[in-house]
Amino acid sequence: MELTINGVVHQIDVELDTPLLWVLRDDLGMTGTKYGCGLAQCGACTVLIDGRAVRSCVTPVEKMAGASIVTIEAIERDDLGKRVVTAWVKHQVPQCGYCQSGQVMAATSLLRQVPHPTDADIDAAMVNLCRCGTYNAIRAAIHDLASGSTDGGA
Amino acid sequence: MVNGLFDDAPLMQQEPVNLSRRRFMLTSAGAATGAFVLGFGLPARQARAQAAQGPKYRGTQVPALLEIRPDNTVRLQSPFIEGGQGTFTAMAQIVGEELDADPSTFLVENAPAGDEYAVMDSGMRITGGSMSVRNGYPAMRRLGALGREMLLQAGAQHLGVPVSELTTQPGQVVHAASGRMVNYGDLAHVAMDLPVPDPASVKLRDPSQFRWIGKSVKRLDIYEKSTGKVDYAIDVRIDGMLHAAVQHAPRLGMTVGSIRNEEQVRQMKGVHSVHRLPGAVAVVAERWWHAKRGVEALLVNWAEAEPGAASDIRVMPADFSTEEFRKHLATVSGKEENAETRGDVTRGLKNAHTVVEATYFSQYVNHGQLEPPSALARYNPDGTLDIWLPNQAPDMFRADMARRTGMDAEKITIHSPLLGGFFGRHFLYDHGSPYPQAIALAKATGRPIKLIWTREEEFLRDALRPMAAVRFRAGLDATGRPVALDVVSATEGATEGLGTKRGKDLDPTALEGLTNKAYDIPDRRIAQLFVRNPATLGYWRSVGNSMNDFLYETFLDELADKGHQDPYELRLHLLRDNRRLTTLLKAVADLSGGWKRGPFTAADGSRRARGIGMSSPFGSEAAAIAEVSLENGRVRVQEVWEAIDPGKVVNPAIVEAQVNGAIALGLSQVLLEETVYENGMPRARNYEGYPILALNQMPRVHVKIVESGEKMGGVGEPPLPAIPPAVANAVSTLTGRRIRSMPLSRHDFAS
Amino acid sequence: MTNRLKKIFAVVIPASAVLAAGTAWFVTRLPASSFEKTGSQGEPSAQLVARGEYVSRLTDCVACHSVPGGAAYTGGLKMVTPMGAIFATNITPDRETGIGAYTLADFDRALRSGVAKDGHRFYPAMPYPSYAKLSDDDVKALYAYFMKGVPAVHQENRKSAIPWPLNMRWPLAFWNVVFAPSGVYRPDISKDAQWNRGAYLVEGAGHCGACHTPRSLAFHEKGTDSHSAAFVSGALIDGWFAPSLRNDPNTGLGRWSEDDIFRFLKTGRNDHAVVFGSMTEAFNNSTQFFSDDDLRAVAHYLKSLPGNAQRDGTPWQYEPTQAKALQPAGRQGIPGAQTYMAKCSFCHGTDGRGQGQWVPPLAGAASSLVPDSSSSINVTLNGSDRVVAAGVPDSYRMPSYRAQLSDGEIADVLTFVRSSWGNRQLPVTNGDVKKLREQTVPASSSPVILKIH
Ligand code: FES
Ligand code: FES
Repeated sequence: MELTINGVVHQIDVELDTPLLWVLRDDLGMTGTKYGCGLAQCGACTVLIDGRAVRSCVTPVEKMAGASIVTIEAIERDDLGKRVVTAWVKHQVPQCGYCQSGQVMAATSLLRQVPHPTDADIDAAMVNLCRCGTYNAIRAAIHDLASGSTDGGA
Repeated sequence: MVNGLFDDAPLMQQEPVNLSRRRFMLTSAGAATGAFVLGFGLPARQARAQAAQGPKYRGTQVPALLEIRPDNTVRLQSPFIEGGQGTFTAMAQIVGEELDADPSTFLVENAPAGDEYAVMDSGMRITGGSMSVRNGYPAMRRLGALGREMLLQAGAQHLGVPVSELTTQPGQVVHAASGRMVNYGDLAHVAMDLPVPDPASVKLRDPSQFRWIGKSVKRLDIYEKSTGKVDYAIDVRIDGMLHAAVQHAPRLGMTVGSIRNEEQVRQMKGVHSVHRLPGAVAVVAERWWHAKRGVEALLVNWAEAEPGAASDIRVMPADFSTEEFRKHLATVSGKEENAETRGDVTRGLKNAHTVVEATYFSQYVNHGQLEPPSALARYNPDGTLDIWLPNQAPDMFRADMARRTGMDAEKITIHSPLLGGFFGRHFLYDHGSPYPQAIALAKATGRPIKLIWTREEEFLRDALRPMAAVRFRAGLDATGRPVALDVVSATEGATEGLGTKRGKDLDPTALEGLTNKAYDIPDRRIAQLFVRNPATLGYWRSVGNSMNDFLYETFLDELADKGHQDPYELRLHLLRDNRRLTTLLKAVADLSGGWKRGPFTAADGSRRARGIGMSSPFGSEAAAIAEVSLENGRVRVQEVWEAIDPGKVVNPAIVEAQVNGAIALGLSQVLLEETVYENGMPRARNYEGYPILALNQMPRVHVKIVESGEKMGGVGEPPLPAIPPAVANAVSTLTGRRIRSMPLSRHDFAS
Repeated sequence: MTNRLKKIFAVVIPASAVLAAGTAWFVTRLPASSFEKTGSQGEPSAQLVARGEYVSRLTDCVACHSVPGGAAYTGGLKMVTPMGAIFATNITPDRETGIGAYTLADFDRALRSGVAKDGHRFYPAMPYPSYAKLSDDDVKALYAYFMKGVPAVHQENRKSAIPWPLNMRWPLAFWNVVFAPSGVYRPDISKDAQWNRGAYLVEGAGHCGACHTPRSLAFHEKGTDSHSAAFVSGALIDGWFAPSLRNDPNTGLGRWSEDDIFRFLKTGRNDHAVVFGSMTEAFNNSTQFFSDDDLRAVAHYLKSLPGNAQRDGTPWQYEPTQAKALQPAGRQGIPGAQTYMAKCSFCHGTDGRGQGQWVPPLAGAASSLVPDSSSSINVTLNGSDRVVAAGVPDSYRMPSYRAQLSDGEIADVLTFVRSSWGNRQLPVTNGDVKKLREQTVPASSSPVILKIH
């Protein structure tokens, strides 16, 4: 089947119930998207599908034909995504970093839906786990983005 | 670690390994040269010949640790692994300070195994115990200074001027008289051939002149980590590699009896082969997804452990339950081994006005680091073995691999990519790491094997923080203040829990946090009642302190209540002769706007209360205040104030990040976490059944760093242990209910 | 190990039956078997043994007579009844502890009449009221299989824990007279062969009614064949609501085609649903092993059972209204919406439609539309056992949320699910969740496949 990932069409030959995560990681070598639980519990595998945060470990590729998939590898090609990365760097968000691909995707998705999220919006949307406890830095970075003081050129 | 064990280890594996991505992680901006450039890279033997100063000065084999590239980037082989705690950046700051090179020009990676990287005073090399910075500090400064010295020498040759006329500025040797400057990168090839100067002769920079040490230098890995560019062990790919997945026996000690459907599984799409391993079965496939499905499909008849197996491994009994074990710990009697005695506790208790007794409990907890364990093993045509795996101690792991494979250690090369979190998870735990399996599978298939444990297998084989039941007896004087304290902990320490046999001496990790308290309680005894845990034990962030400070500090509040003392005032009283801790405690109270216990009504109408916890772990001091409220019968932590005194600080921003992280883990432990066993099996096999702290449960955090100037302490672990008691004490105040165990989710405060 | 299905209902002996105790002769007499006069048939053919194994798949003996990790058919499964626990027995051909000493007639009496060789009567946990419809040929084949195809294992049976006097089994004889249908399945000549084969499988061998047919106060199934509107019209069993298998468009199979039913029973999944709860075990051990013809017959037969429009209400239709409520700002005011987004939406979709056959929809699902909320609650609390199709475990499993969500949060999120996307307004209460939380345990994340050899 065909998958459109980061604007590139890939031909893949896998069973239809294969999770998108493993197609990305094993078939396409795109290991920026992480495996944490395989059970929709952690969010490390979050990618954007048609602009929304989706957990690729529980996303069978069958449904992905025709969808626009964006992974962390291309996040900076997206204006909003680039701003998120910039804010992440500014606020020095990551610790071990393992969850952060997913966090950046989730934040990008949130900001696309709600450009000026409140604390409650952030609580509601940022449900990815971070074992290192970078939550307050994540919150600060998102607030910063929402207030507009961090732009892509910072 | 035995010195000299790895004397012939090749220093840096410079063969162009066919990694699919950049071999060197942590490229800082401007260092993306791509091509591998030999700078200081020397074979180890040569390096060692040049630096035969012996163990008195560690970390002096400059060429082994430092490489300066033509583009002026500095590649540092860090003896300490980066797992999110900021060590690589701190190392760059420390070395850069003395080398006179901006930390942002550093490229840091985890050094391979080898004696030249054993820079700790103990002669060991392990990342843990919050020791990296404090223990590596002198050696890494010296390393930078030696490197600078060599560059100056090379500069003298290059410019044809005496060394005495030269100085440096970041990245350059400067001849002020002629106004000439030479980049370090242009001198590296000359410096390489010079002998390492006598470490005793180097002059270190005056701390008042520090430009990077003590500053919130930006971390080197943040951009890569924000864009998915870091390759963790789980991400490494090499040519010809196959993937593997395992299914472990449900209980440790069981062995593979028979497989009911081996042939069918071998026929499954993508499956390469099916394997039997000690206590596990494995499927190897072209893709991990196929390996995982295949191994889950295997129907294995597991055989019970052979009698006698328990002498080598911890055989998990079929009927083990944590609930029963907890009762057992609370009631078991036996030999009480004193770890600390002061005064006469028997007399103290007898003379006390009031005696208070209570039993407190700590639970098993999982590490839950977000990166599942993996290992990639490759046998090379020349009979050597390359292995990539997350680990905190390359030399220990390599020695273990040598023991298991019968190979010479120097034939084994360990690659240690960044850790996707560790919290003590990547120590050498028997049956706790996939590398023996990966090696066996690589041998059996003749192909490089990358083995990933599913999260479910990880929860089955993780090493757990020990359980304990601590029986406290305390005597209060007529004013209600404690004067005698008798503590018996029925437990097994993490260190003695690593094997199947107990050491001669008491395991300090069993009782740390109960022992050596600064509180002035004249008559006291702290003892261990050793009880073997059926589960495999391990280190969990803050080790013994992570549980014992909870147990001690909440009992202290219980005493305060029994004696009608305010817990803050009582602590100040008990610490009245300790300036450092009095300062710290007052600092955290000030940070919170002045001590106020509550309960009180907050601006949002919620009822709240505050609690205190203190702890002295890993050479540092910490004090925390937590403010809590209740929401639908569950505890919500609203604010946390924490003051930490690590003596001296290398990077305040990293310290603050570590305090945040430690608070998150401490909260997670006290609010949510508990590993439950039933019928010899963990009930949770994924985060589904083992909830950890989420963003919406994270309180506001306020950090105060107190630099007392005392001996440098650790940072990664010390902020954690004060948190659980601060929260539990606040909850006790708010609800009027005594909290004697974690997690609080066990209690329903609605009723 | 897990809460695998006990194909058992609460076996309560009606007091009236005890009072009406008749003569000792009646309660101890052995029922007739059509094989009374049949002597030893000699060594059965391999073909007959193989046929018997197939019949055992249809009848799913293994579900109760094996435990995970135990030897095949040695019994031991604990079935909890309101009166105490009973244990399935060893049915391997071991002479002392199993059924090795059974003649074909003995075997037949046990299977089709519920009476052991020694004359004691089974609790109707054993679905002999359904097995009564088995043909003589199938009984013979099954006997051949159990004597020759199953290895004998010496394993003592466990005593039931039902206290005296409830452990006196002879009153069951009266229960049998009153309730248990007798006589093998008789084809309905007005229907075609496929229909009749389906009826035989559903009403008889497959004993679908044991779970899917509601029971009376005396715990017998309210209907045993296609003539009864109650037959497989949905029932609560063991903490799960086994939905209607009739043509009810909301709570039954009304919106399913024959092909949908076929695929569900063959692969465990289709676009409407994925097997979960008790059905997982029936699928893992039984239905997927039916021949295609037999599955098509089952589907054909089930599609002939009329629904009950009055009970089922207007047919469900998808409504997209919930999308807005799930926006970050919107969902904070709606109980359950935030939990849905954080815990459910990644798999079941923000639109509630699931992901094709791999993750079932919640929009329009029978479990969402049926008034009894047990299945919704149970699967949320405990997750579901792994679905193992053709030997390969599922790629996606339902996690257990008991450790993460409170009773209130589960009640809220299920109330949200059950009132979204055109689902009926069927609220779930905290008390409903609390009760099931206490009575159930989480499913295993490891696949469990019972041995039959
Ligand atoms: S790996 Fe997908 S949510 Fe954890
Ligand atoms: S940064 Fe380590 S898990 Fe989030």
